[in-house]
Amino acid sequence: MKRRIALLISVMVALGAGVAAPANAAPVTLTVWSYGNVFQTKLLNAYKAANPTVTIKIKKSDMDSNHQNLRNALRTNSVPDIAALEVSYIGEFRNYDAYFKDLNTMTPSASTIKNDFLGWRWSQGVSPAGKVIGIPTDVGGLAVAYRRDLFAAAGLPTNRTDVAKLWPTWSQFIQTGVNYKKDTGKAFIDTAGTVFAAALNQGTQRYYTSGGSLVYRTNGSVSSAFNVAAQAVTSGNAPGKYDGGIGTKTGQFSSGWGTGLQRGTFAVVLAPAWMLDYIKQQAPRTSGKWDVAKAPGSYGNIGGSQLAIPKNAKNPQAAWDFIRWYLAPAQQLTVFKSYGQFPTIESLYDNSSVTGYKDSFFNNAPIGSIYVASVTGVHNIPTGKKDRIIDTTFGQAISRVMLGKQSSSAAWTQALADIKKSIGQ
Amino acid sequence: MSTQAVPGKSQIKFKSSNAPIDKKPRKKIAPMRRQDRWGMLFVSPFFIVFLAFGLIPILFTTYVAFFNWDALGGAPEYIGFANFKELWSDTYFWQALRNTFSIWFISTVPQMTLALGIATLLANPNLRAKVFWRTVLLVPNITSVLAVAIVFQQLFGYDFGMINLAITWLGYHHIDWVGNQLASHIAIATMINWRWFGYNSLIFLASMQAIPRELYESASLDGANRWQQFRYVTIPQLRNTIIFMMIMGTIGGLQVFAEPLLYGGGMTGGDSRQFSTLTLYLFEQAFFNQRYGYGAVIGIAMTVIIIAISVLNYLIGRRIATDGTK
Repeated sequence: MKRRIALLISVMVALGAGVAAPANAAPVTLTVWSYGNVFQTKLLNAYKAANPTVTIKIKKSDMDSNHQNLRNALRTNSVPDIAALEVSYIGEFRNYDAYFKDLNTMTPSASTIKNDFLGWRWSQGVSPAGKVIGIPTDVGGLAVAYRRDLFAAAGLPTNRTDVAKLWPTWSQFIQTGVNYKKDTGKAFIDTAGTVFAAALNQGTQRYYTSGGSLVYRTNGSVSSAFNVAAQAVTSGNAPGKYDGGIGTKTGQFSSGWGTGLQRGTFAVVLAPAWMLDYIKQQAPRTSGKWDVAKAPGSYGNIGGSQLAIPKNAKNPQAAWDFIRWYLAPAQQLTVFKSYGQFPTIESLYDNSSVTGYKDSFFNNAPIGSIYVASVTGVHNIPTGKKDRIIDTTFGQAISRVMLGKQSSSAAWTQALADIKKSIGQ
Repeated sequence: MSTQAVPGKSQIKFKSSNAPIDKKPRKKIAPMRRQDRWGMLFVSPFFIVFLAFGLIPILFTTYVAFFNWDALGGAPEYIGFANFKELWSDTYFWQALRNTFSIWFISTVPQMTLALGIATLLANPNLRAKVFWRTVLLVPNITSVLAVAIVFQQLFGYDFGMINLAITWLGYHHIDWVGNQLASHIAIATMINWRWFGYNSLIFLASMQAIPRELYESASLDGANRWQQFRYVTIPQLRNTIIFMMIMGTIGGLQVFAEPLLYGGGMTGGDSRQFSTLTLYLFEQAFFNQRYGYGAVIGIAMTVIIIAISVLNYLIGRRIATDGTK
């Protein structure tokens, strides 16, 4: 009898040990709140195949709603495991680091991967107290995508080096647009107001100092970027008419924009790396007609996101494992080759599969080396709590100038007053 | 009660005759009967839900209105009536109010007229495929607001929208359906009209069918033509329905939110707030600018305005209906 009991106990122990052995046996569901093209399906499927116990549920909203929902949820326990934060909102969330997990304290610490990443992009996810709340996903960079056939029809050069020589500065860019419009009667760029963000992000500061003080009124780069944009949206119009300046009156990403891309109603789009995929999606039949040239100024950036883990997340470790995998060099390289989003891993900038990468949609333009050149040299611009509100207000002011509702100085004054009303300073 | 069978007398029982004299004063309210208790149980879910999702939020909102409250920031800061004062002199609020009324007017008036007309057509006993028409009218009502907004945005698009194409074909210049204030109101009102005219016409139809035939017969005997019958029989009989529809239409119309939000793509209602409505302005202040206290004040102001307009609506509705019988 005793022997039988001993045998039974040893069998049970063996079974118990066998069952306890696999570490992540319990199924985990990761909730992710995101927007736009932050997460690509191909990689999500690859992760699921390698980690069958992990299910990833993504809730995709439009950009503003995503962040507003997150803000409201952060004070409760119903937060996602992973939150995607766009660069225009990162200024706000990084100032409230108490609501996020400090990724330096996770296992393994974020400090072990810090040196892989592009310095100024990494800093965007660091709070004023030094806590790492978000890991950068991609980097926008800046170039100009142009239609070679439309340029040829207007008598402009089509070789990308020659094209870049047309516009070393923004005023020359605008002048090229004015000439194009005069010669062909068509719009030069999709939305002229996009030069505002492009010009502004070439400076050293935007609306805040690194200490967090508001300087949107006094910072010369803000007013000069505004003037560049005001010029772009009004130049080339017949007197008394307001046709959008060197651009069309259609907003980016609207349905009219997609149609315009297909029909070639404009020849140029300011292109951060992620824009190239939008062009391919919206106008697949224009493949081979495009090319990519350097933008005015030697570097630039628009857009980008960080991935963060809210403090009350239910599965922080599983979330961290996923984030580290998704943003690792191998995966960022895959995303770049499949979707054009430019990696934030600095070591990849020497990798021949990046520097040698050519995209046939864009006439075999060396996308990799073009964007490597455009992201190095971008300054570490401090972000702040009300960036998004200020961005939106200036955007509307530029829109009013474009429609002829206000002069550029009146729109500037109203924008300053509106911002003061919205944020109190 | 005691009933003594008195031989020879009738069996009528009198409650109080043999009753003992009450020692305590009789209660004014009758004690609850079992049926009443069940009745209250069945009705209680509504009150519980109203309490949780209606009354308590209203009280809390009123409370929040006295504070300066940032979502993620520290503790809310008490500022008394400062939000109310700011609202009074806020030109954007008054602009949102004017826009809301403008959109409401352009959407409600044609819609009600159209609904009444369609209901009259549907009430015609000679109409074929009645059920089909009634079903089709409800389809706009059940389509998703987002889908409607996307399609109408394309229709009203500046360069490639069908409506502008039709206009230029007729020889006129493109209309900026988003940038121009009146045009944007018409576009948004069209979306609202499209959604609700079928629903409203079915409600009118239901009420019309409750009007007794004899009234129409006696009217035609008196020599009234179709229009006179409509004016002097139909409309007065529809008085309650018209009042109901106008109040519902007003309450809904003053709260229009999804259409301007999706039409403009931003929370300000266009670059010059040309189609910013009250609810959209509230949403922008509370969730985009993160000023919960100020958003709460806008909510209170809206409640006051809607109640005032509804009362006005009711009084006007009664006049319109009684006019016809003179």
